[in-house]
Amino acid sequence: MAESSGKTLMDLISADPTPVPAQSTSSSSSSSTPSPAAASAASSMHQPMSTKTTLGEKKSKRATLMQIQSDTISVAKAALNPVKANIMPQRQRQRKKPVSYTQLARSIHELAATLDQKSSQKQLVNHVFPKLAVYNSVDPSLAPSLLMLNQQCEDRNVLRYVYYYLARILSDTGLSPGGGIPTPNWDALADIDAGGGVTRADVVPRIVNQLTSEASNSEVEFHARRLQALKALTYSPSENSELLSKLYEIVFGLLDKVADVPHKRKKGVFGTKGGDKESIIRSNLQYAAMSALRRLPLDPGNPVFLHRAAQGVSFADPVAVRHSLEILAELAARDPYTVAMTLEKLASPAGALQDILHLHDVLARVALARLCHGISRARALDERPDIRAQFNSILYQLLLDPSERVCYEAILCILGKYDNTERMDERASGWYRLTREILKLPEATSKDKSNKAKRPQPLIKLVMRRLESSFRSFSRPVLHAAARVVQEMGKSRAAAFAMGLEDIDESVHVNAFSDALDDAETNDSSHPEGIRRTSSISAGPGRNETIASLLASLMEVVRTTVACECVYVRGMVVKALIWMQSPHESLDELKSIIASELSDPAWPASLVNDVLLTLHARFKATPDMAVILLEIARIFATKVPGKIDADVLQLLWKTCLVGAGPDGKHTALEAVTIVLDLPPPQPGSMSGLTSIDRVSASDPKSALALQKLVQAAVWFLGENANYAASEYAWESATPPGTALMMLDADKMVAAASSRNPTLAGALTRLQRCAFSGSWEVRIVAIQALTTIAIRSGEPFRLQIYEFLNTLAEGGVQSQLSEMHLSNGEDQGVSGTGLGVLITPMLKVLDEMYQGQDELIKEIRNHDNANKEWKDEELKKLYETHERLLDFVSLFCYIPRAKYLPLGPISAKLIDTYRTKHNITASSGSTDPTVVATGISDLIYESTQPAPAASNSSGLDDDLVNAWAANLGDDGLLGNNAPAMSRVNDFIAGGGTDAPDVDEENVFSRPSVGYDDMWAKTLLETNDQEEDDVRSGSSSPDSTGSVESSISSHFGGMNYPSLFSSKPSSSSQTTGKSGGSKYQSTYEGYGSPIREEPPPPYSYSEPQSRESFENPMAAGSGSRSYESDDEEPRKSTGTRFGTALYDFTAGGDDELNLTAEEELEIEYEVDGWFYVKKKRPGRDGKMAGLVPVLYVNQS
Amino acid sequence: MILAVLFANSVGNVLIERFNGVPAEERLTWRSFLVKLGAENLKGVKNEELLVACHKSVYIVYTMLGDVSIFLVGKDEYDELALAEAIFIITGAVKDICGKPPTERVFLDKYGRICLCLDEIVWNGLLENTDKDRIKRLIRLKPPSEF
Repeated sequence: MAESSGKTLMDLISADPTPVPAQSTSSSSSSSTPSPAAASAASSMHQPMSTKTTLGEKKSKRATLMQIQSDTISVAKAALNPVKANIMPQRQRQRKKPVSYTQLARSIHELAATLDQKSSQKQLVNHVFPKLAVYNSVDPSLAPSLLMLNQQCEDRNVLRYVYYYLARILSDTGLSPGGGIPTPNWDALADIDAGGGVTRADVVPRIVNQLTSEASNSEVEFHARRLQALKALTYSPSENSELLSKLYEIVFGLLDKVADVPHKRKKGVFGTKGGDKESIIRSNLQYAAMSALRRLPLDPGNPVFLHRAAQGVSFADPVAVRHSLEILAELAARDPYTVAMTLEKLASPAGALQDILHLHDVLARVALARLCHGISRARALDERPDIRAQFNSILYQLLLDPSERVCYEAILCILGKYDNTERMDERASGWYRLTREILKLPEATSKDKSNKAKRPQPLIKLVMRRLESSFRSFSRPVLHAAARVVQEMGKSRAAAFAMGLEDIDESVHVNAFSDALDDAETNDSSHPEGIRRTSSISAGPGRNETIASLLASLMEVVRTTVACECVYVRGMVVKALIWMQSPHESLDELKSIIASELSDPAWPASLVNDVLLTLHARFKATPDMAVILLEIARIFATKVPGKIDADVLQLLWKTCLVGAGPDGKHTALEAVTIVLDLPPPQPGSMSGLTSIDRVSASDPKSALALQKLVQAAVWFLGENANYAASEYAWESATPPGTALMMLDADKMVAAASSRNPTLAGALTRLQRCAFSGSWEVRIVAIQALTTIAIRSGEPFRLQIYEFLNTLAEGGVQSQLSEMHLSNGEDQGVSGTGLGVLITPMLKVLDEMYQGQDELIKEIRNHDNANKEWKDEELKKLYETHERLLDFVSLFCYIPRAKYLPLGPISAKLIDTYRTKHNITASSGSTDPTVVATGISDLIYESTQPAPAASNSSGLDDDLVNAWAANLGDDGLLGNNAPAMSRVNDFIAGGGTDAPDVDEENVFSRPSVGYDDMWAKTLLETNDQEEDDVRSGSSSPDSTGSVESSISSHFGGMNYPSLFSSKPSSSSQTTGKSGGSKYQSTYEGYGSPIREEPPPPYSYSEPQSRESFENPMAAGSGSRSYESDDEEPRKSTGTRFGTALYDFTAGGDDELNLTAEEELEIEYEVDGWFYVKKKRPGRDGKMAGLVPVLYVNQS
Repeated sequence: MILAVLFANSVGNVLIERFNGVPAEERLTWRSFLVKLGAENLKGVKNEELLVACHKSVYIVYTMLGDVSIFLVGKDEYDELALAEAIFIITGAVKDICGKPPTERVFLDKYGRICLCLDEIVWNGLLENTDKDRIKRLIRLKPPSEF
């Protein structure tokens, strides 16, 4: 190893396979006089992969490519001339030093010309072709020589390579999957060298023609080549419709000849040695045709396609059978009825599908399971229960399959997990099937079985036994898969409970069902003897098994699996446990498992977040579990604050809070706020009243993350306390009498807590945060308190007012630490440093109280003098009302139509004025200077007619629940919110995008100074005042109650990274600029805890949080707070440009340009544009990176 | 779909890679992810001992064979178990060609034939041939079943 580890791919491949000299331990010394191309290619391969293609590297890569390019041009020229060079000197040179691509290419040309010599063929097979395989793609200019070899060469080994390379030329569309040493873009190269360049476009038709004629050659001796030719053809990109139709023609032509002969398949025999020659050749051709058909696009409406696919089931070749089943399974997903009708005979007890149960090809049986599932669940076959039963029976038999892969597929199919589309009803009935149905082996197969095997088996028992034994396996894939199956089982079970399926009592004896079935069968079965015997046998020790007991014993085994050393297996086990946790069971075990798991530093952040997302999904399935899930989520916050995605956690808090229902809201809020009680990173601070698990935030990074989490929690509390407490100033059922306001502070606290303990508790927590903890937390706490003050009625508002006042003046510490005492003494400003921040907040409250006082005075005056209100007086009142509304709206969202800053008594007067002057309450004001009432307005505005609003006294909980349950499905909240889309992606089971390699990037998010944020907020608000006239018009009065209160909780929360609430274009009436300003405003308020919202995981968004190595990722670093304004531009306002010069792509991600070409600029990354062309270039590529300087932006 | 087949040496250089249906801009990330996964977990692992990982709904099975680590990434029907089957076939083929668990040197010497084998085992992202003898015949341009 020592001698070879220092070598690179390039060195080793390009050198002769004879032992290398001892000095060649490094690439520089091994190639004493390397050709420049080889050397630089080698050096680029030397780099660890992680840095291989950073942008800096690109330059050297480009240099390499330029070298290859210049070499190649000369080769291409040489190739045009008659080959005269002697190959021997060439070989000798190879012995001494690495071979460059150029040399390889030249050798091919030369050797192709001298094929008659045996040595040439040897040379090709042993040296040239294997080395060529190292390169990323094959130069089209090699095609003529390859085709020549293809026609003239007899040597099978040479030919096999020729087919391989021809296929690679066909498949090369600039996105070749080749890997290896990068090669230049040959087409662009050929363009440069206008004289002798050969492009793909030149050679592909020739290759296709030759391969097509070979694929149609029916000579017996030729049939192996025919297979390879057909295979190579399938590599051509499927966009080429002409070629595609040609391929269909060949394949169907082939099947016409070989498929129709009646043929008895020989089970499970691969070689079928000893079969007659004709049938073997036929079988080979059947295989080739079916394999090619599998690679062709599905043709669902075509009866011939279906017919041929169905014929494949009876072919002798197991791989052909597999392909045909896979095709059928896909067709069945679209049109189960037709497929079922076609396969009707094959599914019968003696049919070919039964034979496949014993076929020695795992994936064929997997495809069979999918096919059977697709057909047996089809609604279209409701009238043919017989067919469904046949397929069902095959599916159930697959549960007994020796391969785990097949058995699990069958279990998943039974559970209703077919693809990534989650359907609640399918899942629920899946659980029902699993727990209720019985596997009866059909007569035909049970002849040779013992009675015991023939006994009908409850599916659940089979599955449980199988899974339990799997969990004893040592193979990590098996453990992982088994845990995954248990997780899916949990999902189906949760769905069954959620749907309230009748008869899911898990304490029923599993054998009860089979007994019932037995009894039924005894009456009409033709074999009463056997069945009676089996039912007596079944009265064995397993009699007392219930589903619950089976599950319990399974879960016991699952739990032990957390001992597995593989963290991914453990992750899957934890997910399975979360899904199998039922709302009524004790949570302690799960909690302790998760807590101890999370303490393991081996857990990658992605996996931790996956589990967090699982909690989301679990919540969606069972909203009852909100509190339980929050408790689990709390463990994440305490154990691995540095690893979890605060956005996702917030979203979880929010959805759980909403889903917890009227009774659970208090508990849910408590569960969230427990985060606040975590001891802050500094030692000696508040250790919290509630006992919690120890925090693992010992290192500075975790401490920082925890800090952010605490901020998030504080913010969350401020935004949602009113919701959780159902306490709103504008919905107060019993407006507090003025007497209450006369109370002194401690009595007020007592009154408040008796009135609404939830809100009182939240206030206490926030007050504590406002003077303890870090600077950032204190700011957020003050903001949260202000929000609550504005939204709550008395006495809470007064209580907060007093608190803020005191805080501004100092001396709060003592007041709070001894809450029951009044704040008698003043201890100075107590170092909160929040005076500046508090002042404007206090001013709002001051003004409100002042306004209220004046109003009361006025009313008294009017009452005493017994005079009517004059219009001017009303106008003045109304103006004060509006002014206060505007002022208040600066701090948090309130429903303008209902909010009464002057107190409930002003309602009547304001109404009077409005009626007089024909101002609709919903529009609030015709004054153009009103302030936005919140994103929620935008979001809820045009997208839905507000739900029935007869219930004006509070939230309609059903509605809220419905909303929560549909969280992922309604587009209202902007699915572009990163956390949201992540959750949705996860729940939908989608997402194959590349993983995030970097785990620490939480800290690379830019932080925003509070001052900047504040300044920005004010600026933005002013702009908005000019632009926007529409404020508040979203809630028609009649619907105001429910709508506004909902929006105040969901849309109105405005935590930017949570919902990031970018109004979708459909729901936004004020235009994009208005929308983004709204957002900015509200982000402003939430912003001290704002983190850069991670861009959504998606293929199209290359700025997703990638590793540092990803050149694309560079863009995310430059995204700052202000980047919100770019957001819409990025998605909608694409820029255009034209190419200034020709550009040759230097890698997969780059794009060739021809001067003057028109381009669409998607985004810019570190001196590169990601552009799209109007039409594909010669290389077929549409989009990629080009240097900024090559593009003239229009 | 088998999204990726990747061979790397012990220091994380990619020897062979085959991507199917992975956008160009994500390949690099996958590559780094896999190499990192290998670097973290493959130390001291026995030959052909299977390791597993997952990312969202994508499964990864990987193993060590001599000096070479082999990674398979798949989704949908190519779950951990199907990938385990595929990796078993691939390691079998590599061992057959190299005669034993290969050193990097031997692996590179047999590079061409390994590529051909891979071509017969994974075809356009789908597992194709699973039988050793059949693969052997096919890379010599013989028919899959002989008479």
